[in-house]
Amino acid sequence: MPRAKIWGIIAVLVSAFLFALSIFSFFILPEGNFGFFSDVNLMNLHPLTYYSAAVPLGLISLWVLATGFWIGWVILSIKVVPPMPEIVEKKDNSKIKAFFLCLITAGLAVLLVYGIYVRNFWALAIPALVISAVILGAVFWVGMAIITTRATLPVNKN
Amino acid sequence: MRVLISGYRGNPYCGGQGIYIYNLSRELAKLGVEVDVMVGPPYPDPLEEWATVYKIENLNIWSIKTKDIPYEKLVRIFSPWNFADYILTRLHMFPEMETYSFRAFFALKKILKEKRYDIIHDIQSLGWATVPMKGYGIPIVTTVHHPLTKDREADLMGNFGLWDKTTTILFYPLVMQSFVIKRLDRVITSFREGITELNKAFGVKPEKVSVVYNGMDVDLFQNTGEPREENALLFVGNTEDSKKGLIYLFEAMTMLPENVTLTIVDDGPPKKMTAADMIKKFNLSHRVKFTGKLSYEALVSLYSRKTILVMSSLFEGFGLPAVEAMACKTPVVVTTAGSLKEVVTEDCGILVPPKDPIALKDAILKLLSDSELRKKMGENGRRRAVENFSWPVAAKNTLKVYEDVIREFRRKR
Repeated sequence: MPRAKIWGIIAVLVSAFLFALSIFSFFILPEGNFGFFSDVNLMNLHPLTYYSAAVPLGLISLWVLATGFWIGWVILSIKVVPPMPEIVEKKDNSKIKAFFLCLITAGLAVLLVYGIYVRNFWALAIPALVISAVILGAVFWVGMAIITTRATLPVNKN
Repeated sequence: MRVLISGYRGNPYCGGQGIYIYNLSRELAKLGVEVDVMVGPPYPDPLEEWATVYKIENLNIWSIKTKDIPYEKLVRIFSPWNFADYILTRLHMFPEMETYSFRAFFALKKILKEKRYDIIHDIQSLGWATVPMKGYGIPIVTTVHHPLTKDREADLMGNFGLWDKTTTILFYPLVMQSFVIKRLDRVITSFREGITELNKAFGVKPEKVSVVYNGMDVDLFQNTGEPREENALLFVGNTEDSKKGLIYLFEAMTMLPENVTLTIVDDGPPKKMTAADMIKKFNLSHRVKFTGKLSYEALVSLYSRKTILVMSSLFEGFGLPAVEAMACKTPVVVTTAGSLKEVVTEDCGILVPPKDPIALKDAILKLLSDSELRKKMGENGRRRAVENFSWPVAAKNTLKVYEDVIREFRRKR
């Protein structure tokens, strides 16, 4: 088996395992009172320990939310006249949706900052889970593609 | 003088950057400048005769679905920058410029252990890592033919619904470009109005912008002497680019006599459907044809045979087809959008306001009915192209900008 295929299989297995582990750790362990997360009281953490994790996670989450807000804002504020009659005739309600996009992202940002301030577990857990899902999902997807795609070049055994 | 020209794409057959890098580096070398080129894929034609080339990796996987990425590229995704590229492209962003700038930053660090440059010339990438590159103590200039805000506006015009608009907004790295461009030592643009455009789009101070007209190969683009066709219009450009204003040209076509035909130098259906759909809508299928991509020789022949070149653009950062046509003694009908009113003077073509199909139709009719005027405009066009838009002239003017920037940089230190 080509070495790249082996890496593909490893990527799929590792990303699937890590994602399953994160789901288990975030949702099942605390609820089942397994004594792992339920023992973690964020209020007991030293501020430096807490904020060294909370600030990077919070900043990444705020950056994502700010991008969403910015997209909504651009759509709301841009003034372009579509030249194509078929577009003018259609009822485009993207401005209304953009308004809600701004509203929701701004609301989530406030909630996130407040959650981090009061040291709510979910204010860190949800962003961490989403970021992990995106990265592990990408690794998984590329791994799957490597496994299922046929190499177009013959393998040079030398 | 030692110059490093840096561009994230170098394909000489599509996109302006490759053509720009190839010709500018060649002409600068002829002027005695030591030129190195750092470039991302698609790589340019061999430049080794006059420059040292440093090739920077990039998988070019934007808009390719994961399952359609070639196997040779798939197995290379798990390197840090390729993986960053992969994730960002899946989020509908266009990260080539960002990741190119980081790769170039680290590649340059290695190169500078052996070499030294007087100036770095960035070609329109404006990636984040261009700013820390200033830490190497070398002035950096950039060429921006037109701000991407114009492309985004044009794309948004054709978008319908929140998702289409969102993907368009995500695609253009305007925040990055706006941040980076203000921190570079000089911006070179290809038309005077570009100074205002760059100020409006990115807040670049006018005194930081220099105008250098683009060049073109006036030896290659010459009239072939083939007989001219009558009532044959020519359009050269990307039909998927909303800035080209093709819809107005098609509208003008519906008002022109039936014997007036249009040849479009670009791919038609099934590869590109936007123009084809409009042609169907305006019932012009029997009068419009696509040539697909052409070799330079075939393009020069077309310029030499067709009656008029038409550009119905809503914005142009230079308008290369107009200059190429002028060099082939072909009269042009162009809009006054962007650089076109500087490139085309009234003695070599007719200028009409953009988004005005009636004015476009009138101008085309005027030229079609007056062969003497066409001939005169053709002769004037050739003269103007040779005097203002040849690569030796562009290189000489670029060199003047380099000298000015280096002088200023040394004075400040």
